Amino acid sequence: MFPFNLNPTGEFFAFFALAVCAITGAVMALSLAKVVHTALSLAFTFVSLAGLFILLGAEFVAFVQVLIYVGAVTILMIFGIMMTKHRDEERERGRPLLETLAAVFCLCLFGILFFAIRSAGFPVPETALPADNTTEIGTLLFTKYAVPFELVSVLLTAAFIGAVALAKREEEPA
Amino acid sequence: MSMLASYLTLAAVLFCIGLYGVLTKRNAVVVLLCIELMLGAVNLNLIAFAKYGVVPSLAGQIFSLFAITVAAAEAAVGIAVLIVLYRSRATVNVDDYDRLGR
Amino acid sequence: MRTVFSQYAWLAPLFPLAAFVVLTTLSRNLKRTGAFIAIVASLASLALSLLIAFERIGTGAEDYSGGFAWLTIGSVTLSAGFEVTNLTALMLVIVSLVAFLVNLYSLGYMRDDERKSVFYAYLSLFACSMLGLVLADNLLLLYIGWELVGVCSFLLIGFWFHKPEARAAAKKAFIVTRVGDLGLLIAILLLFRYMPGHALDFVSLHNVFDSQAGVISTSITTAIALLLFLGAVGKSGQFPLHVWLPDAMEGPTPVSALIHAATMVAAGVFLVARTYDIFEASAVALDTVAYIGAFTALLAATAALKQNDIKRVLAYSTVSQLGYMMLALGSGSWTAAVFHLFTHAFFKALLFLGAGNVIHALHTQDLRQMGGLGRRMKTTAWTFGAGVLALSGVPPLAGFWSKDAVLAAAFERHPLLFAVGIVTACFTALYMARLFILAFWGRPRGDAALAARAKEAPAVMTAPLLVLAALSVAAGFVQTPFGSWLGAWLSGEAIPEQAENVPVMAASAAAGLLGLYLGWLLYGKGAPKGGGAGQTRPWPWLVRLVEREYYLNEAYGYLFVKPLQGLGRALRLFDDAVVGGAGRLAAGAVQALGRLNSRLLSGQLQTYGLAAVIAAVVLMLAIAGRRFW
Repeated sequence: MFPFNLNPTGEFFAFFALAVCAITGAVMALSLAKVVHTALSLAFTFVSLAGLFILLGAEFVAFVQVLIYVGAVTILMIFGIMMTKHRDEERERGRPLLETLAAVFCLCLFGILFFAIRSAGFPVPETALPADNTTEIGTLLFTKYAVPFELVSVLLTAAFIGAVALAKREEEPA
Repeated sequence: MSMLASYLTLAAVLFCIGLYGVLTKRNAVVVLLCIELMLGAVNLNLIAFAKYGVVPSLAGQIFSLFAITVAAAEAAVGIAVLIVLYRSRATVNVDDYDRLGR
Repeated sequence: MRTVFSQYAWLAPLFPLAAFVVLTTLSRNLKRTGAFIAIVASLASLALSLLIAFERIGTGAEDYSGGFAWLTIGSVTLSAGFEVTNLTALMLVIVSLVAFLVNLYSLGYMRDDERKSVFYAYLSLFACSMLGLVLADNLLLLYIGWELVGVCSFLLIGFWFHKPEARAAAKKAFIVTRVGDLGLLIAILLLFRYMPGHALDFVSLHNVFDSQAGVISTSITTAIALLLFLGAVGKSGQFPLHVWLPDAMEGPTPVSALIHAATMVAAGVFLVARTYDIFEASAVALDTVAYIGAFTALLAATAALKQNDIKRVLAYSTVSQLGYMMLALGSGSWTAAVFHLFTHAFFKALLFLGAGNVIHALHTQDLRQMGGLGRRMKTTAWTFGAGVLALSGVPPLAGFWSKDAVLAAAFERHPLLFAVGIVTACFTALYMARLFILAFWGRPRGDAALAARAKEAPAVMTAPLLVLAALSVAAGFVQTPFGSWLGAWLSGEAIPEQAENVPVMAASAAAGLLGLYLGWLLYGKGAPKGGGAGQTRPWPWLVRLVEREYYLNEAYGYLFVKPLQGLGRALRLFDDAVVGGAGRLAAGAVQALGRLNSRLLSGQLQTYGLAAVIAAVVLMLAIAGRRFW
């Protein structure tokens, strides 16, 4: 019945611990009352994700994850929370229908994905990843994936210009 | 079952939790945060496939780098829009953003 | 000999039809001239009918028929045309003459009515339909005219439609005659099925049933004859479908005179006479006709004894006299029946129009309120008296000769029915005497002031009475046992000189005179108050039974009307619940769908998002689940 062939390797235990952390962070994010707490528990989740990335041999991506997600995005969200006052204490009328349906269908979605994962036969990989992760990524970025790299920088530029333009306070007519 | 399945399952769990948060939470900032969670789960998927997939290569990791970049850009723009909405509506309750329905 | 005017007989129904069309389309503009248009049209028809008839007097006039193929369906051709025989010519004269006189009379009677031109339009339509019925050369066209006269009768009975009694009477007339019409329709269908070549015209009917006996089996012939008779029973008010005629008196009196005395109700007799060969081929049918006719005559005569409405007495009298005609038909002599029809048309129309004068003067129809009118309305009283004598069968007026012909025919075939006929003749004279005495004799019983103001009707209303009275006196001489000219002319065969049946003549005359004498005894001498209410017979229950017309209307109500109304209510409930419910369900479903939709499109993103997730999950399930089916 237990679908997982447990090879009790160290990787598995590490994975398990980090997975628990990630899920705990996500669930607590949903159930905590204060919004700031939500943001912080999600930050915890992102850190766990970074750990998982290291476990998967993607050190550079893990580093980037911590830098950007935890460092930038979460702080950005907290800025957003601070600048918009939300009344946490008022519990307005719940939306039981919406919440029930959402829960049901998210469970359905998870069931479908789980079923898909189980029934897919994944072959054992022959080759392994290159050892020095960061160098390889750098090489690839500047050779094979140079064009997407440039495009992403354009995207970032557009994004931050857009954000500034949107959020700029309108000049008072003198 | 291999480690790949475990990673994929974990990613699915995180994705669904994020989806539930997007559909249910009333504070717009929390909705944005949950979107980030969903994107993170996707990244986990990509990187797991990069290591344990059919042909392990670094393409998955590079893809996930781009994904993180886009996620950050989206978060920035999202917060900007939220701030503009807050200025005009004085609320971040998602229920009050129903101009589309009128 | 070739006849000239018969070729134009098809014009006779068209004059009144033209009047109808003109009056219907322009009725708002022609208030006064509408009447004249109708009168001119009916005069034209009358002139043509008289020309046709007089040309045909004498022996040897050929029957003329003309027509055209109307519908061709596969191998069957239905034709439409007209046929002028001596019988048809006679009916033409009767219908157009009475129609003309009634049109003239209505000029005075309906002078104050607002919807006068509508009335004349309906009268013209009726005249057109009746003339068309008479001239039809096949049963299908006759049926069309039959139905049309039924419709006109409905329209005219319910002419004063704001009176609920008039509406109810119109409906009753239409529905009861419908029962009879169904019989006629089935007979036509049977004939269509069994006649060689699907021929429905009267010439073919005569050929098949008269000479080629055995082409159609006896049982089918009997069935056809009985069904035809059912149609006649409905239209001519025989038992058990007579209940509509007394109620039809709700219509204006000219209508009663034209339709329910002289012409439409005679259509049943005309139908049987026209298809007489079928009846002659089936003894059962003939006997049925005779017995029902005699029974109806007696039943109606007894019911007329105790009616208090002047028109209802005359209505029952009509039913009774139609019974006489049926008796004659069933006794083998259709010429006697047509002769009686001929004379009855005149004196019954006379009686109705005279009653109309009385009603116009006193504004009441109740006999108990009348009395002493003879002094004030001399012309009406004298002509009415002539009509009473004619109807009672007093020689030498017309009614005597025709009734004698009927009774002579009955005496030969059905002696029992002859006795019934004699008794009925006595009753007839009795109730007519009662009517005359209560209306015109003695002292006024009702509102004295109103009676004092009563005066004779204007000339336009008394002139027709004079014409009809003259005819009631003289028209009988066309057929007497001393020289039966009419019978020979109608049937085209020489009637053998029969010994004048003196006992029969004496009996019928005696019965009439006895009835008149009894009436004078009971109602004239002693001048009882309340119109004979003091004459309580030893059996009050019998009086009540007769007064309520044997409770037949109530019986029909319980037997037919109430179950049908119950069925109607049940069906309506079904319709509301099931059919209406289905409609409401559909509407409600669509509305609910709409409401759901408006909730979905509320403008809230999370609702949209949820909908998208649901859709995505469903889609994934469908695709992933494909391997399972």
